[in-house]
Amino acid sequence: MAKAIRLILLVAVLAALLLLPRFVSSYKLLTYTTVLCLALMAQGWNFIGGYTGYAAFGNVAFFGIGAYTTGLLMLSKWHLSFFPAVFAGALLSAFVATLIGLPVLRLKGHYFAIATLGVAEAFREIAGSWDSVTEGATGIDLPVRSDNTFFYYTALGFVVVGVFVTFLLERSKIGYGWVAIREDQDAARMLGINTTIFKVAAFALSAIFASLAGGIIAYQNIHVAPNDFFKIEYTLQMIIACIIGGTGTVWGPLLGAAVYQLLSTYIWSHFLELHPTVLGAIIIFFIVFLPRGLMQLFGRLGLVARGRRRVGWDILLANVRASRLE
Amino acid sequence: MTGAELGQIAVNALLLSGILALVALGFSLVWGIMNIVNLSHGAFIVLGAYLTFWMHALWKIDPFVSIPVSMIVLFGLGYLIQRSLINQVIRAPLLATFLLTFGLEILIVNLINYFFKADTRSVQTAYSGTGFALGPVRVPYIRLGALLVSVLLVLVLGAFLNRSRLGRAIRATGMDIDAARLSGVKVAAIYALTYAIGASLAGAAGSLLSMVVPFDPNLGGPYTERAFVICVLGGLGNVVNVLIGAAVYSVVEVFVGSRLPALSQAVTFGILVLLLIVRPQGIAGKSFS
Repeated sequence: MAKAIRLILLVAVLAALLLLPRFVSSYKLLTYTTVLCLALMAQGWNFIGGYTGYAAFGNVAFFGIGAYTTGLLMLSKWHLSFFPAVFAGALLSAFVATLIGLPVLRLKGHYFAIATLGVAEAFREIAGSWDSVTEGATGIDLPVRSDNTFFYYTALGFVVVGVFVTFLLERSKIGYGWVAIREDQDAARMLGINTTIFKVAAFALSAIFASLAGGIIAYQNIHVAPNDFFKIEYTLQMIIACIIGGTGTVWGPLLGAAVYQLLSTYIWSHFLELHPTVLGAIIIFFIVFLPRGLMQLFGRLGLVARGRRRVGWDILLANVRASRLE
Repeated sequence: MTGAELGQIAVNALLLSGILALVALGFSLVWGIMNIVNLSHGAFIVLGAYLTFWMHALWKIDPFVSIPVSMIVLFGLGYLIQRSLINQVIRAPLLATFLLTFGLEILIVNLINYFFKADTRSVQTAYSGTGFALGPVRVPYIRLGALLVSVLLVLVLGAFLNRSRLGRAIRATGMDIDAARLSGVKVAAIYALTYAIGASLAGAAGSLLSMVVPFDPNLGGPYTERAFVICVLGGLGNVVNVLIGAAVYSVVEVFVGSRLPALSQAVTFGILVLLLIVRPQGIAGKSFS
């Protein structure tokens, strides 16, 4: 029964997403493409940050690499079309992530977070000063394509593939390995999991997703500059989207990206100057009351509906009870 | 490079290291005792700077006199934040406190921006810009005063942690929270006290910075980063580690700043990442995982 409802819901959402471009203006569609790209980045971050539990704060580096590679391959001597270019960018990102991941993933906790943050900053400075390739702070221009439905369907296609990949990996040996590393790395190693390979795989996979999103947004914006494509806000958005939706779940990143964008738009139009304050308050609320996001809330409400849990403040306070200082 | 230039670099590094040591001191305490990387440290620095600015602008209070006021206000704020918010998630995975303090940072900085506007401010006193010459090297009075205040606060904190009962309770809690609790330490209050001390030191640093550099609501972020780098360089552990880290860092910053100003961030972070990989326990500290 529950399975049938879920399937119907899934088909309905997918149909709605497929038909959306017929009902909204071409300009509005850009916003939806942005949401899908955020969902894509969040799906990627979910592998390393959600399943494996490594707080990566530099994923914007791969977003930028994807954007630059796509742009450079579509321009100049090669004149590749979009798809080969964006996939080449994804491959390059995965390669770079492997190179960086091998040393950096040896660090734990805060040290890993700050090291990845530093790596992203370094890429921004490289992109800004490597004039012969990236044209420095001016950035590069891409060929113009004004067909907004193309970007929308491309992003939607990638997100759907992302859901499948996440769904399959979650139930595979590698998915269980990631969760084992998150819960206790030493124990995972004792069980014979090659933690280095598993962690690097998660990091490279997250790089591929961020890179694809970077390629789409670069082509849509037709201009790539270091300060627009290597800014830390993108990293924060992916993390916040995952936290709101639910880290380490298949649907969390998508749900989180949609809710984040809705909230963000609402806040922008109602409290323009206090936008960051409200955003900060939302982060604090989720971290304190729902650290595993809306998916956890739905799970608990589902238990209430089936009569296995009582309605009450406990739905919100369970996490505080589990993690506060006694 | 001439001798005079080298001398000036050395003096600048020394004067800078005082304030940076103060900035890093509270950060290091909070990190070392509670394992919290406090990303809202920068917001507390900005609050301290604005408190000093307004006290000087409205009531003509000398900026050095307003340092204790900043410290008391931020002590109270820090106590409240730790007691009411951070203590609720302290046993959750690391990312929780990291993001919680990050949320606090953007909330506080945006509120400051909303109420005081983004204009660049600075505290100008009669003695601003004056100084004395030490041979070919110039020493501004305010920076020297800031160095002296920083050294004083570092010494006071060191004495407090080592000699007083409360200080020992803080250190004991940092070493083994369960053993401390069994010995009768009220750990929730000690955590709040530790965070409050960290915030009040940030407030003092902010008051000093308001005299030394022009500032706006975004002053704090880069100082949080510097505090992190200093803690990694020096290692966590005690007050001496912070001093070593601050000294090394300010030499690097002043030197790189005078040679390669465009790449100072990249060079600093590059050194940091290399150090983390090669020597994860810092130059002089206990090992951390």
